[in-house]
Amino acid sequence: MLASVRSATLTGVDGHVVTVEVHVSTGLPSYHVVGLPDAAVRESRERVRAALLSSAIEFPLQRITVNLAPGGVRKTGAGFELAVALGLIAATGQLADGVLDGVGVLGELGLDGSVRPVPGVLALVDALRAAGIDSVIVPATDGAEASLVHGMDVRAARSVAELRACLKGEADWPDPPPPAAGEPGAPDLDEEPVDLADVRGLPRARRALEVAAAGGHHVLLTGPPGTGKTMLARRLPTILSPLEADEALEVTRIHSAAGHAPRHGLARRRPFRAPHHTASTAALVGGGSNRLRPGEVTLAHRGVLFLDELGEFPPHALDALRQPIEEHVVRISRQAMSVVFPSDFLLIACSNPCPCGRGGPSCECTETQRARYRRRLSAPLLDRFDLRLEVHPPEPGDGPGEPSSTVRERVAEAVARQQRRYARRHWRRNSQVPAGALAEVIPLSDDADDAWRWAIGHDTLTGRGAARVRRVARTLADLEGSAEVCERHVTLAAALREDVP
Amino acid sequence: MNAARPPLATAEVAAATLVCLPDMGPRRLRAVLDRWPDPGVALAAVRDGKAGDALARHARLVRTQEREALARSWAHAARALDLAPELLRRGTAVVRDGHPGYPIGDEVPDRPAVLLVEGAAPEVLHRPRVAIVGTRSASVHGLADARELGAFLARRGITVVSGLAIGIDAAAHLGALESGGGVAGVVATGLDVVYPRRHVVLFERVRRSGVLLSEAGFGAQANRFRFPIRNRIIAALADVVVVVEATLRGGARITADYGLEYGRPVLVVPGSRRNPSAEGCNALLADGAQPLLDPDDVLVALGMTPGSRRGWGAPPPRAAPGSDGARILEACAGEAATVDQLVSRTELPPEAVTVALRALERQGWVEHRRGWWWPR
Repeated sequence: MLASVRSATLTGVDGHVVTVEVHVSTGLPSYHVVGLPDAAVRESRERVRAALLSSAIEFPLQRITVNLAPGGVRKTGAGFELAVALGLIAATGQLADGVLDGVGVLGELGLDGSVRPVPGVLALVDALRAAGIDSVIVPATDGAEASLVHGMDVRAARSVAELRACLKGEADWPDPPPPAAGEPGAPDLDEEPVDLADVRGLPRARRALEVAAAGGHHVLLTGPPGTGKTMLARRLPTILSPLEADEALEVTRIHSAAGHAPRHGLARRRPFRAPHHTASTAALVGGGSNRLRPGEVTLAHRGVLFLDELGEFPPHALDALRQPIEEHVVRISRQAMSVVFPSDFLLIACSNPCPCGRGGPSCECTETQRARYRRRLSAPLLDRFDLRLEVHPPEPGDGPGEPSSTVRERVAEAVARQQRRYARRHWRRNSQVPAGALAEVIPLSDDADDAWRWAIGHDTLTGRGAARVRRVARTLADLEGSAEVCERHVTLAAALREDVP
Repeated sequence: MNAARPPLATAEVAAATLVCLPDMGPRRLRAVLDRWPDPGVALAAVRDGKAGDALARHARLVRTQEREALARSWAHAARALDLAPELLRRGTAVVRDGHPGYPIGDEVPDRPAVLLVEGAAPEVLHRPRVAIVGTRSASVHGLADARELGAFLARRGITVVSGLAIGIDAAAHLGALESGGGVAGVVATGLDVVYPRRHVVLFERVRRSGVLLSEAGFGAQANRFRFPIRNRIIAALADVVVVVEATLRGGARITADYGLEYGRPVLVVPGSRRNPSAEGCNALLADGAQPLLDPDDVLVALGMTPGSRRGWGAPPPRAAPGSDGARILEACAGEAATVDQLVSRTELPPEAVTVALRALERQGWVEHRRGWWWPR
């Protein structure tokens, strides 16, 4: 007797549909799982057996073969257990034929027969939807997340016994999961409120932060310890524009696949990731041997990646960031598989100017020490920061600066301006304008062009650097509400790209 | 340049071979050549393993065992070493103390017994020579002073002597080279080693328009101890020593001390008390060194007729600064400043200050370095 149930597995942050086939035949009692399962999937048979017995459902003392198709895809995690259990129930004739046709099943089992949540429900349900399945059974706690997928009939399962009763029509389905509540962008209540007004002085660094938030430009702040670089960087999320609807779905998908699902279904805030500088290359860009996991660059997708003490990160880990910064995706290849992770993030980094940290005329480092310190950050990496500036300690008279709300309004206007301009393009922000389209999309007045060319020669800009100055100039114009990029915008953009550290 | 040189004499090859022996140093070489004044004889003796005799009174080698071990190692190395082809290929001149062409006078007690010299213009060693020395971590102003001074001296046919280090040394060399003058670079390593690596182009330029000198043999690497010893050659070669920016405990102070010891006039460019790169200069001035207020002071010290006291030369022509620019230059007051400081001093909006600073930079009024703005 054969039953087949549709389920899905995660590769990276994407789902793949898997057909779970359960075959029960006469023979010596045995239980085999075939089809490239990993250790967690193989262990599942003990849990399935215990869960069925605890739910007072017959576990056949026969020859059981579970096949996970397609055979070439590596299956990971415990998310098939509910599908296997339902397959066993169906294959032993305890369910009517056809109830499971066109239904996707996701869930992990407890020994007592309860259904437990699985990571990456959004991505998995997405994959099932793409395969033409319009009804899913998911763990009750994942219901809200699954219902984010448009046009999907989501049914919640709390335990195997209850689920069997519902499928047989002996009981009503539990209440449909509550829709994701709240406005996107609303702050989480339990987070400590921070505001740009907390930071004294640093007018230029504030301005750079505003430009970064508006145009999506990467920022590097260098300066003596204790000037407020880190404080400022941590307040970047308070001036970002809210997640757009499609972005919120993407972010939720990724974070759910990585195993930390947002509490209320849909992610509302742009992610802010601040890995410690001991992070390995795999932790930053993603990787792993069996199951490829997203790294910090992917978890920061559509949000902010904050690298404090940039010079302390392992150099090879930093240089691994170069490709995701350029292409907005990370391609991880292993012998058995390769995955593509999205990684469109805003990078903000802080570092000291030299080992003594003072910088400028009062620096006591030797030229050799400074050169050695500078070598930790490769020139190609530094070149990828659109905004690089040295911050100095606040002057004694400096008061608190503008509050985040005021800056956020200006940023939102600049973002709206960009959205209108790029409505028909495949990019959203100034920082993403491809180099080939610059001349057409960001025209310069004669004066501005003159200033741009002078900056290229004088600041010895690389081709990439020159393009970045042009994009920043566009953002500065957007922040001022100017339709045209003028000379002062180019000059200010070039001045925001200092030769640091 | 090889064609112009007479073929190498046997004595010169022998002297160079002695210099290139392992663990050879200025004092040991002097001891060997004191014992056997003819380098050919000395080399033959070393090859026979008799070097121990010469080192008998060497202060650092009191134990006979050590002397004999060194003599054996030299004998072994000297037998294997044939430098003649290498010297010919590189065009290296071997200049010996007491022979024509040796540039240092007898008044210097610890002068090198043998100098290796390479470069297209050996005649620069027979002109008036001024050493310009200073710190490696120089300020923008110090670098500009060294460069202008190097150019000023080069235009008057004076050879600029320095050590090819980062900072003041390189700026002085560059200033002289840009004015088409002659330079002498005294290196601490062997002449086949470029240290610091990033000055590989500067080394080539010095070779083309002047000379490189070293008392170390080929292959000698940049060891810490070599630099202070090298500085005594810079002081000995110079008729006048100029210190542009020096830290309290830097090599430039060592050069100045050697200069005083050898009776060279030492001129010092005064610095701001806020500038840690000039602390050594101000300390030298406090000790009674002569301040260098005008480049002509160097000519006076050289005993050359002073020029018209035109000072540091007119600044390059540049457009008048705008009204914001003038306020900013005034707020700088000749010292380095950050944008934030200028914003609070001028009370202009930050963006106006940035735009004005870029305009001043474009006109040549200020220079931006390591996050600070320096008026020029």
